[in-house]
Amino acid sequence: MPVWLREHSWRQTLAAVYLSLPLRGARATPANIFCSEQYLKVSIPPFLFEAALYAPIDDANSTAKIGNGNIFFTLYKKEPAMWDSLTLANADKEKLQYLRENAVLKAQEKAKEETEAKKITKQEHKKYALEATMKVEEAERKRIEDLKEKERQKVTQELELWKNQQKDGDKYKSIQKKKELHQEIEPLKERKNEKMNKTQIPNEGTSKTRLKSTKGSCSIFSQNLKEEQLPAPRAAATIKVNFTPRVFPTALRESRVAEEEEWLHKQAEARRIINSDLSELNDLKEEEKNPDWLKDKGNKMFAMGDYLGAVNAYNLAVRLNNKLPLLYLNRAACHLKLRNLHKAIEDSSKALELLTPPVPDNENARVKAHVRRGTAFCQLELYTEGLQDYEAALKIDPRNKNIEKDAEKIRHLIQGTMQSS
Amino acid sequence: MSAAVGAERPQVVSHVQQALSYTVFDCKWVPRSARLLCLGSAARGTGIVQLYELHGARLELLREIEKPKPIKCGTFGATSLQQRYLATGDFDGNLNIWNLEAPEKPVYSVKGHKEIINSIDGVGGLGIGEGAPEIVTGSRDGTVKVWDPRQNDTPVASMEPVQGESKRDCWTVAFGNAYNQEERVVCAGYDNGDIKLFDLKTMSLRWETNIKNGVCSVEFDRKDINMNKLVATSLEGKFHVFDMRTQHPTKGFASVSEKAQKSTIWQVRHLPQNRDIFMTSGGSGSLHLWKYEYPAQRSKKDSDGSEMGVAGSVSLLQNVTLSTQPISSLDWSPDKKGLCVCGAFDQTVRVLIVTKLNKI
Repeated sequence: MPVWLREHSWRQTLAAVYLSLPLRGARATPANIFCSEQYLKVSIPPFLFEAALYAPIDDANSTAKIGNGNIFFTLYKKEPAMWDSLTLANADKEKLQYLRENAVLKAQEKAKEETEAKKITKQEHKKYALEATMKVEEAERKRIEDLKEKERQKVTQELELWKNQQKDGDKYKSIQKKKELHQEIEPLKERKNEKMNKTQIPNEGTSKTRLKSTKGSCSIFSQNLKEEQLPAPRAAATIKVNFTPRVFPTALRESRVAEEEEWLHKQAEARRIINSDLSELNDLKEEEKNPDWLKDKGNKMFAMGDYLGAVNAYNLAVRLNNKLPLLYLNRAACHLKLRNLHKAIEDSSKALELLTPPVPDNENARVKAHVRRGTAFCQLELYTEGLQDYEAALKIDPRNKNIEKDAEKIRHLIQGTMQSS
Repeated sequence: MSAAVGAERPQVVSHVQQALSYTVFDCKWVPRSARLLCLGSAARGTGIVQLYELHGARLELLREIEKPKPIKCGTFGATSLQQRYLATGDFDGNLNIWNLEAPEKPVYSVKGHKEIINSIDGVGGLGIGEGAPEIVTGSRDGTVKVWDPRQNDTPVASMEPVQGESKRDCWTVAFGNAYNQEERVVCAGYDNGDIKLFDLKTMSLRWETNIKNGVCSVEFDRKDINMNKLVATSLEGKFHVFDMRTQHPTKGFASVSEKAQKSTIWQVRHLPQNRDIFMTSGGSGSLHLWKYEYPAQRSKKDSDGSEMGVAGSVSLLQNVTLSTQPISSLDWSPDKKGLCVCGAFDQTVRVLIVTKLNKI
């Protein structure tokens, strides 16, 4: 329950009402005062004072002065008339409530209007500021343009001047030519000295013309001298050159250096892998633990026809180092010979996997892998897959006649089976 | 790499722009005049030579000459100042020298190469340097040949691949070290990144190196002095500056390299009036102006006691983008400092003026 403040006192003139409200020790701030046209409220919890005014007032211009434990209101009447009392006499609850709500609404509206007005003025200010900056920048740009124009004009004028001097110089030179053709070398030397002196003077304006003409005449003479002294044409000779060989014979911008680096890197890595955690290896001799040696052994056995032995050798090598594509490639060849077609396909696939990225370096290996896998497919009568592999091989090496012939054969076979089915 | 102070930086001012109706491959100033030449290939497959004169803010066409084969490159380097004959290389491998006053029949003509002549250079003319006038051509057939206009049909020197060696296109050639009558070197750049330096006095290969990317352009800073610096530009936006004063027996010449533009650097040209300033033109249509600064000591002794060069540093003075297409040719005027012409693949030739070069 609020504590009502009732010790207010008031007096009035025709135009204004002066209300004085003692605050009983409470501290008031502007936020505690709420005033609208016909309603005035001061709320400082727990104190409360409200008044439904007798007549409307001009709440925009009315003031409240807070101080000395007192609020002093100066309320300007809307209509100058004497009030019978400060508040409405028959202020029943409903009317009061209505007034209150009205007052609140009105206050809200006012607040909205105010914010909108503020927004508009803010926008206008911004616009103005923008225009001002634009003007300033425009001025700056113009200034620079003017400087450039001036420079350009100055330079153009100089150019014209120089060009005219050239023309005059030419004319003068031809006159001089005729004169000097009758003179000897001694005066020429003299003139050469003269020329050298003249070059030390800053050559602007007319001295330029004179300079050019003497230069011209000098050169005629030096030309004659030179012709007597010109060496005979050189004895013909040829110099043979070599061009820098390149690891990858493409210009830097065309090369696929990144991929080639990757491939080289992979090869290096692969060679370093040693899966040395196999206990059976303790029985083997030193050289038998070397995958390369085993690969060679395998190759020899293949060449001699001992396919099973070759497969064994390759198996051991793979156990030692499973990243060397050539091992899988060669083992695939052995399986082909042994008619272990599925194994052949597996090994060729593994080899192809290891032969990424595709670079010119591992072209041969990839061709072989595709051909072997293709052959295996064909022997399993999976001709379409086989053809795919042969075509891949052809793409890498289009010039290989054997692959072409085999691919043709397979195509015929496919067409034959399709016709018959 | 530091840029020069703002207000003092050289500015590249575009003075004149001229649209052409053919592809321009090379543009050159005619020495001692305000005239320039454009060489190129017309759509119908013939070669065009156009002579323009600079008139105020425009170029006036003085003469147009049409030849049966498209022309790739040209030089005035080997003629005298009076004659001013133009030496051109064309798409068919022919080297011709023309008198522009009477261009119907060439003064000298030889079918020098089996394939297009990519690059040509001349030395010994224009009152610069000493010795016999010579022209060098580099071609797609992998050979570099040196010609003397007084000797018909056979080159005075030829640099060819060894028998059986696969050839690499020669993309650029340059003369250098022509400081007396006997000395001369030819530098050639190839498409696999090889740079070879041939000594014509001893008729031998003096130095070679490989910069990994195809070499688009080589130039010595001056042809007629003891070789000082060589700039080689390549694909992928890189260029190398070699200090040619000190040759180490194994390491060759010291160099500094800079990656400037994201695209190919088509040409490098040194300012005739200041040999430490050069301009590179790029595939993105931009031009960069560079200055080379020498190191405190140009050579030092290495661990074996032999002399080794020390490369300096390169700083960017200015850059400007003029076109969306590559600027394939560039030439400074030998008579007016800062005046240059460039030709781009968007069929325009532009005359530019670079200001404030005196203040560098």
